[in-house]
Amino acid sequence: MIVTRQLRRFGLVAVGLALFAAVAACGDDGEPTPTPQPTSPAATATQGAATPEPTPTVGGTLVVYAGRGQNLVEPLVQQFEKDTGIDVELKFGSDAQMLATLQEEGDRSPADVFWANTAGALGRASSLGLLAPLDDELLSLPAAFVPDSRSWLPVTMRLRVLAYHPDRLKPEQLPKSILDLPRFARENGLQGRIGWTPTYSSFQDMLAGIIAVHGEEAARQWLEEMKALQPKAYPSNPAMLEAMRAGEIDLASTNHYYVVRFQRAGYSIAMTQFEQGDPGNLALVTGAGILKTAKNVPAARAFLQYLLSEKAQQYFVGNIGEYPLIEEVVPDPRLLPLEQAVRQGPSIQLEQLPLERALQLLREAGLN
Amino acid sequence: MRSMALAHIRPRAAVAALPLAIPVALAAGGLLVPLAYLALRAFEADLATVEELVLRRRNAELLRNTLLLAAALVVTTTAIALPLAMLTVRTDLPARRLFDVLLTLPLAIPGYVGAFVILAATGPGGLYPLPRPSGFWGALIVLTLITYPYQYLSLRAALLGVDPALEESARSLGRGRLAAFLSVTLPQLRPALLGGGLLVALHAIADFGTVSLLRYETYSFAIYLQYSAAFDRTYAAWLALLLVALTALLLAGDWLLLRRLRLARTGTGAPRRRRPTRLGRWEPVAVAAAALPPLVAVVLPLVALLDLASRFPAGHAAGLREAFGNSVTAAGAAAAMSVAVALPIAFTAARARLPGAQAVERLAYVGYAVPPLAFALAWVFFTLRAAPALYGSLPLLVFALSLHVLSEAMGPVRAAVRQASPRLEESARTLGAGPVKTFVRVTLPIVWRGAAAGGALAFIGAVKELPITLILAPLDFSTLATRMFSYTQDAMFAEAAPFALAIVGLSACFVGVLLWTERTFSS
Repeated sequence: MIVTRQLRRFGLVAVGLALFAAVAACGDDGEPTPTPQPTSPAATATQGAATPEPTPTVGGTLVVYAGRGQNLVEPLVQQFEKDTGIDVELKFGSDAQMLATLQEEGDRSPADVFWANTAGALGRASSLGLLAPLDDELLSLPAAFVPDSRSWLPVTMRLRVLAYHPDRLKPEQLPKSILDLPRFARENGLQGRIGWTPTYSSFQDMLAGIIAVHGEEAARQWLEEMKALQPKAYPSNPAMLEAMRAGEIDLASTNHYYVVRFQRAGYSIAMTQFEQGDPGNLALVTGAGILKTAKNVPAARAFLQYLLSEKAQQYFVGNIGEYPLIEEVVPDPRLLPLEQAVRQGPSIQLEQLPLERALQLLREAGLN
Repeated sequence: MRSMALAHIRPRAAVAALPLAIPVALAAGGLLVPLAYLALRAFEADLATVEELVLRRRNAELLRNTLLLAAALVVTTTAIALPLAMLTVRTDLPARRLFDVLLTLPLAIPGYVGAFVILAATGPGGLYPLPRPSGFWGALIVLTLITYPYQYLSLRAALLGVDPALEESARSLGRGRLAAFLSVTLPQLRPALLGGGLLVALHAIADFGTVSLLRYETYSFAIYLQYSAAFDRTYAAWLALLLVALTALLLAGDWLLLRRLRLARTGTGAPRRRRPTRLGRWEPVAVAAAALPPLVAVVLPLVALLDLASRFPAGHAAGLREAFGNSVTAAGAAAAMSVAVALPIAFTAARARLPGAQAVERLAYVGYAVPPLAFALAWVFFTLRAAPALYGSLPLLVFALSLHVLSEAMGPVRAAVRQASPRLEESARTLGAGPVKTFVRVTLPIVWRGAAAGGALAFIGAVKELPITLILAPLDFSTLATRMFSYTQDAMFAEAAPFALAIVGLSACFVGVLLWTERTFSS
C-alpha cells in the first residue's frame, strides 16, 4: 500500500494547485470593464495597410453569439458570407445561456456580435455594459423600436396573442383585455383549462408590460387571480400548444408565430388579439448589438446592416412568419400590415420594461 | 510476510504510482473547479435576498418532490432491471445478444426528446390512445423507462462476474434456489446495486428537461429557471450548492453501506462459467417481458417522432454528416478519457484505506450533480483566466464532458474493480511481474467488462449532453444533440427527426460493439 501514499501526495498537490488557480482567478475582476474599444476598427480591418488614411475594408472573420435558433440563423449567415466575403463563426444557445457566457468571458470574450431573441436579453446586455453604442446610420434603418440606449438594433417583431381551441371557444366571447382574462375564465368555468408559460421570456416581458401600463399592484392582483384559476404551467410554447391540441387546455397567451406553425401542421388552434394598446398584445422585438469586445467592428456593422436589408427581412417574413421592421418587404397575408401591427401593443420603451419587478412578482408568487 | 514483500518492491511502487496519480489528480482538480466557481458566485450575493431565496417554503416543497422522485425511481428501475439482468445473463433466453442491445437502447433517447414526443402522441387526437402522463406519476414512468438501463448494465456486469461456485456450494449445502440466490448472490450484487441505484437517483436529482415537460417541479428545475428565466447567476449558485450538499448526503449514505465490502475470490483456481438456467415453457413469457421495456421506451417514441415529423412541413435539415462526425469525435474522446480516469480512481478508492482516495471517487458523483450550465460557466471562467489558449478548443470540451460523465463510467468500473482480488495482483508481483505487466495480464482481464460498460454509458451520456456542449464547443461546432434541440425548440419536428434517429442509431452501434467485445473476452 505504498502506492497509495504516493498517490495521496500527488492528489494533494494537484488539488492544491487547482484551488490556488481558482482562488487566484477570483482576484481577477470577472465583470467586463466598460473601457472603450482596445483596437480601432480601421486598424483591425486593414491589417498591414500603410496608407496614412486607410479606408476600412470589410472582411476577415466575425464571431456571432446567437440566442436565436440555429436553423433560422444558418441559411441567412451563409448568404451573408457569400454576399460579403466575411467569414462568420457561430455559437448558439438560448439568450440566457449566451448572456451568462458573455458575462463570464468578460473583456476576454472572442465575440463581436450578440444576436438575441428578446429585447429583454438585449436590454440586460446593455445595462451590464456589454454593448457598444451604435451610430445614427444603423439606427435609422428600422421603422420602430429603436431603444433609448442606442446600443442595439431592432431586427424583427413578434406579437403576443391569445391562442384558443376553436371548438370550445368563440372569438367574439373572448375578453378585450388581458386584465379581464381571469374574470372571463371564472365566469365561463375555465378553471384548470388555461395554459401559461411563467418561466418563458416572452411571458415575463408581457408581465412587465402589464406593470408598465397598469402598475405593479394591478399586475400582482392579476397574477393572484390567474393562480387561483389553477392554470397549467408549461416550459415551452410548443409543449403548451401540444397540450391544447390534446384537450388539456382551452386558452393560452403565446407568441403569434408558434400558432402559425401549428396551424400549418393542420392543428385546430386559433388566435386572436386584445384591443389595441393592451399589454396582452405586447410587441416582442428581436435584435442584435455589437459587443465592446468586438475585434472586427466593420464586419459587425456590415452584419447588422445586412439583417435590416430587404433580402434578410424578406427571409424572416417568409421562413418564420415574423414581422419585418422595414417597409419595403412584401407582407405575409397571414399577418397584419406592419403599421397596424406596431400599433397593436402598448406604446412603451422596450428597454424600460420593468423586467426585474416582473421577476420579483413571479418569485413572490412562487412561480419561478 | 506481506510487509516484507512490499518492502522489496518499494522503488517500483513509486514509479507505479505515477500513471495512477496523474489521472486522479487531474480529475480531483477538474471537479473542484466548478465547486470553487459556485462558491465564488455565491459569495457575491446580497444576504437578504439569499435568505429570501434559500429559506423560502417553496424550497422545502421542491426538496420533498426531488427526494420522493429519486427514491421511487431507484425502486422502480431496480424492480425492472434485476429480473431482466437475470434473464439475459443466467437463462437460455433466445437472441440474448439482441436483447442486450435492445434493453440498453432506452439510454439513447434523450429525456427531453422522449418526454416531448410521448406528450405529443398521447391524449385525445394523439397517435396512441393513452392518457397524457404528467405530475409525479408521469415523471416517474418516463424517467423509469429512460434510466432503468443504468441499473440493468450495472447488475449485468456484476452478474457476469459472480463466481457460480459460491451459489453452487450453498445449493449443495441444502439451500433452495431462491434462498441461495438471496443469501449468496444478492449480497455479491450489492456494490452494483448501489452503483446503479446511485446513478439513477442522481439522474432524478439532476434532471430538469423531463420533469419540466411533465410539470413536476424539482430542485434542478428551479435552478434551471434561475439561470435561464431570471438571468441570475448568483442565486442560482446558492441553489446549486444546496443541490451539491444534497448529493453529498446521498454519497455519504452510499459510502456507509459500501464500507468494508470485500467481494473478491480468495480461494484457488479461476471461476467457471455458469451453466444457463433452462426457461422451458416459460420462454414465451420471458421473451415478452424482455421485449416490453424497449418497445415502450424506444419503439413507441420513435414511431411517434416519425409521425410528428410527417405532419410538420419538412424544410432543409442541414449538417447531418458534419454533426455526426462531431458527435462521434467529442463523445468518443470524452468516453475514453472518463474511463481512463475512472479506473485509477476506482483502484485507489477500493485498495487504499485513505479518506482522500475515497473522496475523489465521491467527487466524481458531485461533478454530475453540479447543474451542467453552472459546470460549463465555471470552465469558461477558469479557462479564460488560467489557460486562455485552450478556450473554445475541442480538448477543453472533451475534458469538461469527460468530467461530467465520469460518474456514469464510475458505477460499472467501481463494481468491476471491487471484484478483482488484490491477492491475484500480489501473487503476480511476488512472482516477479512488473506493475504494468501485472495490470495488463492480471487486472485488466478482470476489470475489462466494467470498463467497457462504463465507457458505453459515458459515450451515450456525452452524445446527448446539451448545455456544456453549447457553451464550451469550438465555434461552428454543432453536434447531433445541439442541432436536434434547436429544431425541436422551434417546433420543426420534420427537421429534428433525422438527428434524433442518428443519436439513437449511434448509441445502438456503441452498445453493440460493447457486447461484441464482451463475447470475445468471455469465450
